[in-house]
Amino acid sequence: MVIRRDRLVDACALLRDDPEGMYTMPVYVTAVDWPDREPGAPRYDVVYQLRSLQHNDVCRLVVQVPEDDPTVPTLEGEFCGMDWHERECYDLLGIVFEGHHDLRRILMPDDWEGHPLRRDYVSFGEPVAFTHNIEWALPAAERPPGMPGTSR
Amino acid sequence: MAAILPPQQPGLPGGEDTFAEGRRRLGVPPDLDNVELTEIGEDTMELNMGPQHPSTHGVLRLVLDLDGEVVRACRPDIGFLHTGFEKDFERHTYQQCIPYSDRMDYLAPLINNLGFSLAAEKLLGVEVPPRGQYLRVIMCELARLGSHLIWFGTHALDMGATTPFLYAWRERETIMDINELVSGVRMHTSFIRVGGLMADVPDEFEAMVRTVVHTFPKAIDEYELLITKNPIWRERTIGLGTISAEDALAYGMSGPCLRGSGVAYDLRKAQPYSSYDHFEFDVPIGVNGDVYDRYLVRMREMRESLRIIEQALDNLPSGPVNTLDRKVAPPPRNEINTSMESLIHHFKLVTEGFSVPRGQVYQAVESPRGELGFYMVSDGSNRPYRVKVRAPSFSNLHALPYMVKGELIADVVAVIGSIDIVLGDVDR
Repeated sequence: MVIRRDRLVDACALLRDDPEGMYTMPVYVTAVDWPDREPGAPRYDVVYQLRSLQHNDVCRLVVQVPEDDPTVPTLEGEFCGMDWHERECYDLLGIVFEGHHDLRRILMPDDWEGHPLRRDYVSFGEPVAFTHNIEWALPAAERPPGMPGTSR
Repeated sequence: MAAILPPQQPGLPGGEDTFAEGRRRLGVPPDLDNVELTEIGEDTMELNMGPQHPSTHGVLRLVLDLDGEVVRACRPDIGFLHTGFEKDFERHTYQQCIPYSDRMDYLAPLINNLGFSLAAEKLLGVEVPPRGQYLRVIMCELARLGSHLIWFGTHALDMGATTPFLYAWRERETIMDINELVSGVRMHTSFIRVGGLMADVPDEFEAMVRTVVHTFPKAIDEYELLITKNPIWRERTIGLGTISAEDALAYGMSGPCLRGSGVAYDLRKAQPYSSYDHFEFDVPIGVNGDVYDRYLVRMREMRESLRIIEQALDNLPSGPVNTLDRKVAPPPRNEINTSMESLIHHFKLVTEGFSVPRGQVYQAVESPRGELGFYMVSDGSNRPYRVKVRAPSFSNLHALPYMVKGELIADVVAVIGSIDIVLGDVDR
């Protein structure tokens, strides 16, 4: 179910409280990166999953956010268990959860550069700095643009 | 320090005056009866626990705010075992992903295999034959038993009981032997594959599993004799780390931790997979949601697992274990020798794997720790586009600060033991 970003909190509150829904258990939050979509289409799908024990059902919500503004409102207020899942999603995919009380990295080290689960993040085959590509040894901010692995 | 020097020490006079001389050198000791106490007030002490700590069950770091011995706040710091399996999945074919899934929850690797395989099979639309499904159930329940045994041994060891640890490892060894028999490997078996199993089980399998089914009830009786009614154990665990059913749900807790709070929700019953609906078993629940209830739930779950294994073994169907879809599971050896088409299938599967139709699924299985879910997105190629692993330990550990708030520092290890985390599962 694809919903708009500004209706997310209301929709989740309704799903949680409505007697026909009772989706009280947060299962996970994650995002899927689609960098190859046509221009103008939102790049990230933020995926929420809730579980209803009363009705023995799961419900998946998708919020599409663009590349230049990857923000969604936090659901901490609705489900306290979303806290760590949102931090993980921020850490690994760079989705910003607005209003989150403590949006820090959770799995990667605090000083890590980049978001590893983005599709353009190079996690292997990292070049070794030789004479011909000595710029690779520079810190990420000072490297010339367009080098392989620059998304870190 | 001068007071403990021997009398012959040069520079210090011998005889009776040694100690007096020592005291003189150290200065006048404070008069402890009339010492002026400063008010400590609301200040708390920050204490670091882990990541290298014997009772945190792996590389878990806790930052505790202590007021005396009472925990005022607890901030878990995780990620020390983060390996990036979700990224690894994206650049491996589906069958190559299976060994990675083994290494997440390393105490019950087969259940990870099962979750991944079921998600991929759902996308592919293939069905595993009954014998394959039953063997999957037997192996997964054995893995659950092994995992609960490790939990039991280490949980008791954390609380100061050394004997159960040795007993639990002795019993677990028989399960490891079965793993070795069927797959050649003791722990990271990768026995369950997309489309079925690595191979059918050898003839000795049934006798070995029967031995487990017959010996384990006595072994569990023995554990319960040691621990369940042990007054020290009850004193330490009853009323500790309590969490209500509503709070447990809001934190996304699942598995024995949720059932300990009185919610009878087990995915094997609620959303049966791999023919779990063919077997009769109960879902044990607790009442108070404390450490003792979670202990009781897991002990009873071990007996239920044995019931499932016995039923599956009694009714084990014959036939193939792998799906007959040759585009997914490789053909048997004798067929490759005689059929050109089988040879091509085998070649294609080994060199490039199989392509999975475009789509997305969520498949959850009941791991020993709770709801282990795989959210899998396919773009139609032979590698998963994105796999999100919903780790049960991650959500369960999230509730730890809530559960230990206001408890004593010595009880923190008891609560950690009772939620049964595996850091490979938390950090992935």
